[in-house]
Amino acid sequence: MNLNSPDREWKKGSAELLVLSLLEGRPRHGYDISRLIEIRSGGSLRFHVTSLYPLLYRLEEQGLVQGKWVEKAQQRRRRYYSLTSEGRKVLARQRESWREFVAAIGRVVEPEHG
Amino acid sequence: MDSWKKEIERRLAQSGAPALSAAVIQEWAQHLEDRYAALLSSGLDEGAVRAAVLLELENLERLPARLPSSKRDRSARGGEVAEGAPASGRLLADFGGDLRYGWRMIRRSPLFALFAVLCLGVGIGANTTVFTIINTLLLHPLPAKSPSRLVVLYGASANRARQPWGQSGLSYANLMDYMQDQRCFSRIAAFTFPQVLTLAGKSGPGRMFGELVSKQYFATLGLTPALGRFFRSSEDSEPGAAPVVVLSYAAWQARFGGSRDVLGRILALNHIAFTVIGVAPKGFIGVSAVFGPDVWLPATMSERVFPAEFRAALSDRSRQLFRGVARLREGFSMQRAQVNLSTLAAALAGEFPDANQGHGISVRPISAELYSGTGSASSLTFASSVLFVVVLLVLGIACSNVANLLLARATARRHEMALRLAVGAGRGRLIRQMLTESVLLSLASCIAGIGLGYEGCRFVWSFVPSQYVPNMVAPQFDGAVLAFAILLSLITTFVFGLAPALRASRTDVVSALKEETPGGRGRRRLSFTNMLLMGQVAFSLICLVTTALFFRSIDRAYTIDPGFQTRHLGLVMMNPAQAGYGPQRAKEFYRAARERIAALPGVVSVSWASGMPFWNSASRALVIEGKAPQEKAGNRQTVSITVDTDYFRTMEIPLVAGRVFTDRDRDGSLPVAVINQWLAAKEWPGANPLGRRFRFAGDNTWHTVVGVVKNANYWTLGEAPQPCIYVPMRQNLVGGMTLYVRSQGDPAGLLPAIQREVRAIDSNIEVSDARTGSMLIGQVLWGPKVGVALLGVFGTLALVLAAVGLYGVMALAVSLRRREIGVRMALGAMPGGVLRLVIGDGMKLVGWGIICGLAASLALGRSLSHRLFGISFADPASLASAIIVLMMVTLAACYLPARAAMRIDPMKVLREN
Repeated sequence: MNLNSPDREWKKGSAELLVLSLLEGRPRHGYDISRLIEIRSGGSLRFHVTSLYPLLYRLEEQGLVQGKWVEKAQQRRRRYYSLTSEGRKVLARQRESWREFVAAIGRVVEPEHG
Repeated sequence: MDSWKKEIERRLAQSGAPALSAAVIQEWAQHLEDRYAALLSSGLDEGAVRAAVLLELENLERLPARLPSSKRDRSARGGEVAEGAPASGRLLADFGGDLRYGWRMIRRSPLFALFAVLCLGVGIGANTTVFTIINTLLLHPLPAKSPSRLVVLYGASANRARQPWGQSGLSYANLMDYMQDQRCFSRIAAFTFPQVLTLAGKSGPGRMFGELVSKQYFATLGLTPALGRFFRSSEDSEPGAAPVVVLSYAAWQARFGGSRDVLGRILALNHIAFTVIGVAPKGFIGVSAVFGPDVWLPATMSERVFPAEFRAALSDRSRQLFRGVARLREGFSMQRAQVNLSTLAAALAGEFPDANQGHGISVRPISAELYSGTGSASSLTFASSVLFVVVLLVLGIACSNVANLLLARATARRHEMALRLAVGAGRGRLIRQMLTESVLLSLASCIAGIGLGYEGCRFVWSFVPSQYVPNMVAPQFDGAVLAFAILLSLITTFVFGLAPALRASRTDVVSALKEETPGGRGRRRLSFTNMLLMGQVAFSLICLVTTALFFRSIDRAYTIDPGFQTRHLGLVMMNPAQAGYGPQRAKEFYRAARERIAALPGVVSVSWASGMPFWNSASRALVIEGKAPQEKAGNRQTVSITVDTDYFRTMEIPLVAGRVFTDRDRDGSLPVAVINQWLAAKEWPGANPLGRRFRFAGDNTWHTVVGVVKNANYWTLGEAPQPCIYVPMRQNLVGGMTLYVRSQGDPAGLLPAIQREVRAIDSNIEVSDARTGSMLIGQVLWGPKVGVALLGVFGTLALVLAAVGLYGVMALAVSLRRREIGVRMALGAMPGGVLRLVIGDGMKLVGWGIICGLAASLALGRSLSHRLFGISFADPASLASAIIVLMMVTLAACYLPARAAMRIDPMKVLREN
């Protein structure tokens, strides 16, 4: 594994967490999700269509998110995804374990003092 | 928007990715449209924007074949998403996608694919070869119509235990009576062993094998000629009236190039012009699984084909030269037939007591005759089973090699698998995908295996001496063999492919994606690998022990004393009667030839005898003077050999009592005989046999015993002792004789000179059958030798495959442990210590494998023990040599990776991390 490209490897493990987090506040369509990931990560994380949508479909199949076609005035039809109650539980669990993981890594990789 | 849809559809089609539903394409197109608008508004030029947007469609081909979304085709317009039924009709498309994906994976690592195909190909090939042998000899030995209804008829003696050296025959006259009176067979026919015939040709005399058969022979077997016709009734009525022959298919091909105008051609056999009337069907070599004649002649020609002493073959009821083949009538069993014929035999014994007293008839399944030339069906079945087990072990080792490689690759592909799981591929789907790759591999291996199997058969059949090729059974490389190879490949796929597929698909997504090094979780995988490796070592030890046991056994067989000296012995078969000689002229020929050859330099002694060593079975019934003929008559079957003076000196058979034959034993003098110790002890226990008298059943001449010699082997090497009578040639002239020459040096050098001398007397006499004593032993041991050679080849294959597998795994383990080894070295471990560490790890596995293999060998060896000549199945030398060879080869396989480990540069490794 090439440690010089964090976005490639790290994001795979955390993709699910990222998507669920973004849907926590409100329903979003796919492009919105990918745009937010790119902006909030300062451009270092990007999901292409070919990896984002399969992930969304899987989450949907697992019952963690729900997709709906919505037609708004002056806009084209878009598919909006929202978090289900099951999705909220999973998000909470994943968030907790992510924090633990980051903390654990931090304890190891931080330079030792004194 | 629509242009994006088209773009997506175009790329999907190009990349071979699975088709997507309209809803999914619409959703993606909308995404691209949004992205396009956003980038364009940032001020980039349109070309750059378009290129950037298309980047979104990268890796389309990596899409899992079934997206969870694909079930949403029926999604309501603007409404709720409909949760549909699982995909249907996608299986085929999935399979197509899997095949393409598998093919890409194979192309990406051609070395791996080549290695796997080679390993499996060798394993499947070895199995195909052995299966072809089994298919040819055991499954389809006789191309006859419903062979299970066929039986063979032998002579049988009351109270007589079955002879180990083959069955006795029936006289032609008796067989004809049985034919007339029996009620249980729809057809019945008589036939002989293949007889040696002299074929006169432009380039000197040649040799052919001919079988004499009665007219119903081919009809009984349910055969139709490949060309021409079989015998007619008119050709089976008058003795000597119908000089016609049916050619075997192989002889037709070999001698006449398969030409259709062979019908009507003349063959000058034994100085008689025979007309070819037909060709037997392909693959038919007589009622034998192994060896058959070149021609079939009507039985009525017997009196003109058999040697002079058998001229009364058709009428003399004591000449048991024929055997019967018959087809059971519907509703009749073999047992019922036996009862029916035994009743008839009793009647015949009453009518012709001298020839038939105590001599009955035995009905046996056709397989008894099919394998009579190879010992028995059971020994052939045994040899095939041993070979089959060994090649299955070879295939097992090959499978485990490939499984190990796939496991190693599965570890390397954990990220790929995790990604595919993360984007929604099901476990079943992944397993199917990986099995598809395995199927591709085994398809290629199947083709390689069939090729190697075919070559293997050619190798096996190359052991057949060239002059016997037309007479030997040809390998049947048919549909059954192909089906076997394909079925085996499919089973193989699951054996080597399923474990790695299951293991890889069990990948835990998060941990695999987070995992830092590919080998980090290798411990469990390695332990499974270790089990496979131990199994390989154990399997190859079993193969090696089996090979060593049979090798030592055959080596022992060569040292068995046949009762005569073989080292300086040369033999040439001749039959002047077949070149048209009458008795007087033949006598003169025998004398002249003997004189000329005795004068050759290097010749110690010369003699004549009927037949070759190991060709003599107990075929003549005895009547002892002073003992009632009917009492235990059946026990008095003996071997009888006609010999010239000096025979015992030439063969170095020691005289025990009395005298050997001299020049005074000739026509008109007292008929005399020399017997062997076994006969003397049996008929005159504790008494002096010299001076006692006996006669052969059906012959009124009383012979006086003048000498006793030591027992020898007459039918096969190491046989149980059997009675034997020698009579002098000058009182019992026979048609075909073999010249026996004892030489000072190597007899092989003398044989051409002998042939030259005989041709100088008469070039019409056929002398091509010349052998040395050691060739005789080699011929007797031919079958076992071929078996051992095959075992040797398969044992070596097993060893090489196991060593390669061990090497591969050790090399992988070293590469996974680079860091650990680097740290050890940085902390002061010496290269020698590292070497010991790695070799120690490998040899520990080997050690366990050897213990398991040894235990299994000892457990299995018990079933081999009664087939081994003079050694036990736990023969220490065989076990030790197998273990030593295995240890040396595996040590070499461990040494190479260990040397690589020793050369690891600790600084470089540590810096890598």
